[in-house]
Amino acid sequence: MVPRFFTAMPIPTPFHTRTQALCTSMFWKDWAGYYAVRSFDTCHEREYYAVRHAVGLFDVSPLFKYDVRGEGAMALLSRVMTRDISKLRPGRVTYCCWCDDDGKVMDDGTVSNLGDDHYRVTAAEPTYGWLCRNARGLPVEITETTDDIGSLALQGPTSRALLSEIVADTKKPIEKLRFFRLLKATIAGHPVIISRTGYTGDLGYEVWVSREHALDVWDQIYAAGRRHGLVPAGLDALDVTRIEAGFIMNGVDYQSAHHCLIESRKCSPFELGLGWTVDLDRPGFNGQAALRRELANGSTWATVGLELDWDEYEAHFTEFGLPPHVSSSAWRTSIPLYAPRRGGRVNGRQIGYATSGAWSPLLKKNLAIATIEPKFQVPGTRIRIEVTVEHERRSVAATVRETPFFNPPRKRA
Amino acid sequence: MNAFDAIVIGAGTNGLTCAALLAQQGMAVVVVEAHEQIGGLARAHEFHPGYRSAGVLHDTTVVRPWVVDQLSLVHHGLQLRPTKPDVLALGAPGESLLLAGDRLRTAGEIAKVSERDADAFLEYRAYLDRLRPVLSQFFDRQPLDLIDTGMGDLWAMFRQGLSLRKLGKKGALELARLMPMCVGDWLDEWFETDLLKAALALPAVAGTFTGPRSPGTNANLLLHEAAAGTGGVVAGAPALVRALEKSARANGTSIRNGIEVKRLLTDGGCVEGVELVDGEELRAPLVVSSADPKTTLLELLPAGTLPRSTEEALVSWRTRGTTGIVLLALDRKPVFTCAPDKNIAYAQTGGHILDIERAFDAVKYRQVAAKPVLEIEVPTVERPNLAPEGHAVVAVRVHFVPHTHDSGWSEQQRSTLGDQVVAELGQHLENLADTIVAREVMTPADLETSYGTTGGHIHHGEHALDQLLVRPAPGCQRYTTPLEGLFLCGAGSHPGGGLTCAPGGLAATAIART
Amino acid sequence: MVAINPFNPAHPDYPGRPDKPSRSSYDAIVIGGGHNGLVAAAYLARAGRSVLVLEKRPVLGGAAVSEEVFPGFTFSVCSYVVSLFRPHIVRELELAKHGFELIPLECSFTPQPDGDALVRWADSARTRQEISRFSRKDAEIYPEFGLAMSKLSQFAKAIIDNPAPDPNAIRPREIAKLLRLGKIMQDFDGDTRHLNLKLMTSSAVDFLDQWFESEVLKSPMSVSGIIGTFLGVRSPGTAYVLLHHYMGEIDGAYRAWGFARGGTGGVSLACARSARSFGAEILTCAGVSQVNLGPDGRACGVVLENGDVINARTVVSAVDPRRTFFGLVGKQNLDDEFATQISRYKLRGSSGKVNLALDRFPDFTARPGDGPHVRGDIAIAPSIDYLERAYDQAKYGDFSERPYLNVVIPSLSDPSVAPPGKHVMSIFVQYAPYEIKEGPEFWPQRREAFGDAVIDTLSEYCPGLKDSILHRQVITPWDLEQEYGLGEGNIFHGELSVEQLLFLRPAAGWANYKTPVPGLWMCASGTHPGGGVMGAPGELAAKTLLRSGEL
Repeated sequence: MVPRFFTAMPIPTPFHTRTQALCTSMFWKDWAGYYAVRSFDTCHEREYYAVRHAVGLFDVSPLFKYDVRGEGAMALLSRVMTRDISKLRPGRVTYCCWCDDDGKVMDDGTVSNLGDDHYRVTAAEPTYGWLCRNARGLPVEITETTDDIGSLALQGPTSRALLSEIVADTKKPIEKLRFFRLLKATIAGHPVIISRTGYTGDLGYEVWVSREHALDVWDQIYAAGRRHGLVPAGLDALDVTRIEAGFIMNGVDYQSAHHCLIESRKCSPFELGLGWTVDLDRPGFNGQAALRRELANGSTWATVGLELDWDEYEAHFTEFGLPPHVSSSAWRTSIPLYAPRRGGRVNGRQIGYATSGAWSPLLKKNLAIATIEPKFQVPGTRIRIEVTVEHERRSVAATVRETPFFNPPRKRA
Repeated sequence: MNAFDAIVIGAGTNGLTCAALLAQQGMAVVVVEAHEQIGGLARAHEFHPGYRSAGVLHDTTVVRPWVVDQLSLVHHGLQLRPTKPDVLALGAPGESLLLAGDRLRTAGEIAKVSERDADAFLEYRAYLDRLRPVLSQFFDRQPLDLIDTGMGDLWAMFRQGLSLRKLGKKGALELARLMPMCVGDWLDEWFETDLLKAALALPAVAGTFTGPRSPGTNANLLLHEAAAGTGGVVAGAPALVRALEKSARANGTSIRNGIEVKRLLTDGGCVEGVELVDGEELRAPLVVSSADPKTTLLELLPAGTLPRSTEEALVSWRTRGTTGIVLLALDRKPVFTCAPDKNIAYAQTGGHILDIERAFDAVKYRQVAAKPVLEIEVPTVERPNLAPEGHAVVAVRVHFVPHTHDSGWSEQQRSTLGDQVVAELGQHLENLADTIVAREVMTPADLETSYGTTGGHIHHGEHALDQLLVRPAPGCQRYTTPLEGLFLCGAGSHPGGGLTCAPGGLAATAIART
Repeated sequence: MVAINPFNPAHPDYPGRPDKPSRSSYDAIVIGGGHNGLVAAAYLARAGRSVLVLEKRPVLGGAAVSEEVFPGFTFSVCSYVVSLFRPHIVRELELAKHGFELIPLECSFTPQPDGDALVRWADSARTRQEISRFSRKDAEIYPEFGLAMSKLSQFAKAIIDNPAPDPNAIRPREIAKLLRLGKIMQDFDGDTRHLNLKLMTSSAVDFLDQWFESEVLKSPMSVSGIIGTFLGVRSPGTAYVLLHHYMGEIDGAYRAWGFARGGTGGVSLACARSARSFGAEILTCAGVSQVNLGPDGRACGVVLENGDVINARTVVSAVDPRRTFFGLVGKQNLDDEFATQISRYKLRGSSGKVNLALDRFPDFTARPGDGPHVRGDIAIAPSIDYLERAYDQAKYGDFSERPYLNVVIPSLSDPSVAPPGKHVMSIFVQYAPYEIKEGPEFWPQRREAFGDAVIDTLSEYCPGLKDSILHRQVITPWDLEQEYGLGEGNIFHGELSVEQLLFLRPAAGWANYKTPVPGLWMCASGTHPGGGVMGAPGELAAKTLLRSGEL
């Protein structure tokens, strides 16, 4: 319930009483108007390792959720999304993005087919208005369920074992739930939807439960989690894992076309490396004509993964008599990239910018996600990236890499 | 195998004009009209056995001469009057002013009230004559695309504006001052006689969602005056329809009336024909619709076919109809109390600018004013055969009537409106109430049902500056639509509503170019 | 001993004095000590010219004035919020050094008749949450609307920060100006261009209808299109003023709207002090009765109401165009065509003010308490029909029985204007037409009835109001004319309607501050870019005059 007067921001998620008790660091952030834990401890390291070695439990309720129901639901979503939603069968989830009329990305998220003309869309930004504006004449009912549905992400190698212990009433065992599929089940006697999705690039699940049953579900997962190394985790750990997984983020690695004051800040799915989510040859959808044109004429930018050259990086620190320093948190500032000159040691002209990055404790690599001129996008290309060492601006070599940087077989298995 | 090269939807004046011109170029054209009779808003209709109206639209002085020439309408029976018909402006009971087709006579009439205004009137007419060659281009040229070609067209417009140089440097600035003004203020600058000002102002606001104190209405006045270049068609709108029909048929157009289009047939961004209500499909590479843009693009096309931004622009296309129609069948010829010896064919009420403004005020609150303003036509003066021998028909356009009544249009409300009109009219016509044989009241909601125009708007979309300059939406400004093979040719396209035949004519030219 | 209020002309630091001029001749005489006159004077003095400002009243500021109307209560008597005051004027005239201080408005509060309310906050997330109580769709579109308006405001900003472009001129400077506007237009995408066209021509309501569905949101938004004009929210041409709300954002400071510390007079006094620091002389109680013309027809000085003659190379008028030409120059000294243009110039004041001294803070039913929601402006604009009905009444020569009100309580954010615990409330009222049925001179008889209508209206939302009133000051358009010199009580020195803007303000061919009377210039709201406490006409006039080489 939103209080009538002086609605305060941020507001608590359905799991707030539990996360609040555990968040000893008091390290919160505002995620879409909700309280979200950045890290439960003062440092997120323990949470990060849990995701990669056991299981992390994230409260991802602030993710915007919309339920689209009715005969026209499929037509509406096919019109809005870059993917052909008419091909999405019940019980499946797809990741895609959506564009404005000029083929510029507004947001990215998932669409789940819950069966019986009922779909669920997740988004990083408020999307209700946009869905409504595309629904003229279509028999659909669009409801925002962000506040009504709590979502938990269980991510990590032991997540499957954990869930299989507590999930009941499923049509098939949880072990058989394949990547990007969903099933209906109960946990603690309450109906939930479980999808094999996540934002960490690891084996993982997301559990969707109505607000009134949220705490019971949390409690059961948390109790069962003890045997599986479960650690409640916050957004800082999520940020590092999503960079390792090579996932882009709205508002960080790109700006929604809806928020751009100038055209040049907008970008297309192709430029974001989301070309694979675009089904061009089908009846009209938003941005189709512009995307066709772009495919024919080429894009202005490409999104790539970068790996910074460690030796060069370390050398800069050595020069000052310092040990090499990496931040344990992911960063999200814009950093210039340059073409290499004179044997790669000197900066040429600027060719793009890195938008976020992190030190991967697992890979022991300095990683970044970057927007770059398309001719530099081939994996293996050497470029230069600015670094600041002891207040001095310098640069180091970086290599374009395929993403995901970290891609364990268990993710899809 | 297509039997036709082009299907024209709607046999109104614009549909017929477009069809005739396309057929003239050798295309096999079929016109499909939902109603049993052709003519659209210009069609005559029998509202009581033996009594027929002369159409919703009546002002034939705006018909474009080049359409008349190109379609040899005179050869097909069209007769143009040498001068505009007289209009009797009615003020308070007993007060009237004859606006004669001939300006000197009008000045003479005005002089009886105000010498100063009589002089001013001649000056005013002379000023409008100077503007006409510049402003009438608006009706005779392809529209400028202010949105997509942008500056180039803006410059073209600017250059066209420089034809204003004919008016001199000051004349151009003066025009820039006049366009955004309200018609009330401008007429105040010219005249002192309230009745004269009201009479001149009414055409600027009739059919719009504005009153004479609303800014921008002066542009409507100037455009209306610029368009009215002929004396009009003898026997009015139905005669124009007949001539257009003959011309179209002479060029080989087939006209099928009484068949309604259910939807447009599309295939991947192309329009391929129409599906009729009875299930029949007509196929042609070209479909040209004279229906209003909302009907054509939002109703007849399957949802989701249009690009979203075009769709959104059309959704906010304003079509709030404000004109009601009251048709009266009289058992004798009407006699105007203030001109008992004259055979008046056209008259209008509204003795003061503020009377018109008050009539407008009510429509904002979805109501009818206590005293609506009336445009009165007695079509039986020119065509006695519209009524039985010795009887008459009086057609009244009522301003302003809301499309959606605050408490819903009930039979009772409709009848109240009729009573109001009869009472108002009764102040100017002798023994009106006793002579009424029958009456029909049509609200904008009724016009929407009978004529299929969204909102019951007689111009297929409001005449406001933004909707005149970009008509009806970006991407559909030059009679084209985002769908290949689909064109617009109705009043919802440039240069707008009225019996100009210009949208139909200019659309045919645009289609021929593609 | 009570300290003298700094806005009292008796205060030793007051920047104007009822003295005699120190010299018999000046480079420039500025008639009228309102904020535009003072800004113009400051710029002229800064350029090394000898400048004399002549103000009729004992206090400076014109309509941008603070006065201690009742002991301890300082009112911004007329203009009550500072909007769009050009930041570069603050920098160039060093106004901050001279006491210019803005306290930002925190929000816009619109109580509803049903006891609910909408608050639009400076914090956009909070605003979105508020709006979503009425329409989730509107809440999401609101920021998008803001973004579109910010884009369009680049166009408007280019217009207000430069002298009006002259479409007829072939001077390179004018062409460059037009090209610059063209370039901005060119850089827009198709949708934005269409939007721009609609913005420039349609009514505030029609424009907002394309975006929003909730009337609770649309009504208070639409009123910004009509403030100070004799038009309704459904009158075409009112949409473009909506832009003004989004122009501050471009400067990087969204909260460009605010109270001046000590009231709006604070802005004027800062301008006056700045002008004095550059050497300008400012006289009060020095009404001008006539602009003196030399044998060659050139303005060569002024005659004061007391008969004194002061000479000057140029005369700059900060009074409205009608009064400048018909009152001070005289019709007989103008050619007929220009006289006709000026007689057609529409003033038509449409608003009044009610200023209250309050014993305590009165609760609003919708949200009791003196929380942050009342530290911005409070709008009584419950529906579009309400606003239109208010306008309709005015069209036929009455003040609105239930008017649109814009209320601010500056004492909540600036305690210097009222005794501790007490408050001042400033109520802007529209419509109050200058031409009432009985004739404008009958306003004094209607004044209290007008005041009652305002208090009754506000009491419906704020029931304790009547009991908390200590003093009330009612200002009608007649008072604005008689006391503050605003022709026909128009707060903008002339209607801000499209045919009186840009190169048509105040008359076609005379939009560049110059007048047909050689040596006479105009520098106030009756010239481009028009009214409001923005200082732009004063600045642009002074700069144009300096560039002309006449001085």
